[in-house]
Amino acid sequence: MAALLRGLRAGRLLRGLSGVVTAPTSTVPQCRSLRRGFHRAALRLQDESKSDKSSSSSSSSTSTHREQYQAHSAEQDTEAASQQDSDPNSSEQDQDEEYETEEQLQARILTAALEFVQLHGWSMEAIAAGAESLGLSSASTGMFYNGAGDLVLHFISQCNAKLTEILAEQHNQVQLGQAERKKTADFLRDAVETRLRMYIPYIETWPQAMSILLLPHNIPDSLKHLSTMVDDIWYYAGDRSTDVSGSSHPRSPFSAAHTFLSPFHHHPHHIRPATSQMNWYTKRAVLTGLYNTTELVMLQDSSPDFQDTWTFLDNRIQDVVNMATTAKQMQSTGEAVAQGLMGAAVTLKNLTGLNQRR
Amino acid sequence: MAASVRLLFRRISRLSHRNINSTADSFSRRPGCCFGPFSSRCISDAAEDRNTHFGFETVPEAEKAKRVYKVFENVAEKYDIMNDAMSLGIHRLWKDMLLHVMHPQPGARLLDVAGGTGDISFRFLDYVYHQQERQKRRALGSSQTLSWQDISEKYPAEDAPHESSSVVCDINKEMLKVGKQRADSMGITSGLSWVVGDAEELPFDDDQFDIYTIAFGIRNVTHIDQALQEAFRVLKPGGRFMCLEFSKVTNPVLARLYDAYSFQVIPVLGEVIAGDWKSYQYLVESIRNFPDQEEFKGMIEDAGFCSVQYFNFTGGVVALHSGFKL
Repeated sequence: MAALLRGLRAGRLLRGLSGVVTAPTSTVPQCRSLRRGFHRAALRLQDESKSDKSSSSSSSSTSTHREQYQAHSAEQDTEAASQQDSDPNSSEQDQDEEYETEEQLQARILTAALEFVQLHGWSMEAIAAGAESLGLSSASTGMFYNGAGDLVLHFISQCNAKLTEILAEQHNQVQLGQAERKKTADFLRDAVETRLRMYIPYIETWPQAMSILLLPHNIPDSLKHLSTMVDDIWYYAGDRSTDVSGSSHPRSPFSAAHTFLSPFHHHPHHIRPATSQMNWYTKRAVLTGLYNTTELVMLQDSSPDFQDTWTFLDNRIQDVVNMATTAKQMQSTGEAVAQGLMGAAVTLKNLTGLNQRR
Repeated sequence: MAASVRLLFRRISRLSHRNINSTADSFSRRPGCCFGPFSSRCISDAAEDRNTHFGFETVPEAEKAKRVYKVFENVAEKYDIMNDAMSLGIHRLWKDMLLHVMHPQPGARLLDVAGGTGDISFRFLDYVYHQQERQKRRALGSSQTLSWQDISEKYPAEDAPHESSSVVCDINKEMLKVGKQRADSMGITSGLSWVVGDAEELPFDDDQFDIYTIAFGIRNVTHIDQALQEAFRVLKPGGRFMCLEFSKVTNPVLARLYDAYSFQVIPVLGEVIAGDWKSYQYLVESIRNFPDQEEFKGMIEDAGFCSVQYFNFTGGVVALHSGFKL
């Protein structure tokens, strides 16, 4: 067993040696940014492996050498592993903002391409024009194997990010006491309006974008974006309804910040008692329905500044509120009726002498 | 165990084939120090001149280029016919797939290295032309409600600066000659140029081309890494490197069929159709000596390309590698 380990270490040592020897002799320009990024990742790995090694192995003077060579081979391994993972949307280890990753470059190209959407529509030509505006050859559009779908999904995730920023900013202001907390209905209305207003510059070509999103290979991604957006809005609306499934919200940045809304649990004007009875799914389904129908109305709205759309949104929210209060009323009425019936039954039993208890 | 015995049998049969068919020795035969279909290049340690593989032979590197030149000089006339016969016409599909994956935008400049008879370039020009037609039709279609004056004004507004062009570069003049003849017979007058050049030392400036392709040519290059570095040099930032090449078949059943077909059928076809057994023997042997998909992908990444990917066609018989200069 020990011999096997020694053999393994020797093998890794040799590999590391060859890595050390070949690396400085390569004079070719590399994907510099990516290489340095991987090097940083490898250094981090090296630190991890060092801490592992120091705790487990019996330290000798040679073991530190072996750690270094192992780290070099680990660098080669991470390079190989990360570069073999040719899916550009996979998690990037590079956290250094100076160097650009493939993902960031693709995001830059797509953002530049958005300006050409009015001219070329949501298509590869727009992406090519975007790449050319950044000084890259139009052949770099080959990186986007999903073509126009990539562009639309990028735009949607950008809009969602902007919306989250705005909602967070508003929330901070409420916490600092600079602004008043809105009713849930108003909050939802404003959030949906803000989000839909981001489509206004692209509204002529938006039907094309929606049809691209409905393509079968794009549906999972577009649904994912929609559900994260709905989650975000409800989160900032102060949603504390019971999660039936028990699973956590799919939003890791906020997982630690669950308690910051608790002081605002008992604010006076709200429909919260009814909505807190509604479960997690109902709320999200309602908001999804609101958002989608309003988006469709917006597509064929020709009124100035889309007034008709916002009126439609108001009416739909009012409907939801009414439904919620009606549901609550029905529930309390039902309870009262049930109690009345029980009372009548007990009285009857007393009268007829069936009730034995004195 | 059985596999090594089978390999031994194949080696013996191949040797016997060669001995039977050896004609006047324009090719000096030297039994190499490494046999076997999966050996990499054999570097004789002590010798000053480095050796490389030429099919299953080992030759000095300086000689390989000459011998490859002679091979293609011999086959140039019948090259296209042989391609169709050997691959049963499937090579057209492979090249169409290359264009499909490439999806060139109008205005792109293509460098078709080892382009020889111009297959890729012709398809490229065709593709771009049809794309431009489609765009024009779309642009006109959306202007149906315009008056005839507006339409006539739009017509001359064709973007001349967005003319795509293709440069066919090959080390072999005979292949280029055949290609030029084909171009003339197809009536292609503009957008195509023919350049004699070595893939290891391209006669072009830096940052010239949008797309660099090398279809079924890179295994004939003596120093593949130099060719890759040259490709990196002449591509514009954002440019794409694409390499279509025979590669390792992944499915074992298909692999056996493919081996049998390669070594039994193809040289015979070569003798019958082109009158040249040895060149096609070299062809199938050089396929075996080429690195497999993952190894070649590593070589492309070493040259500096990013976002390298490969696609297998026909179960791995042919692989398309693609990388970007970012």
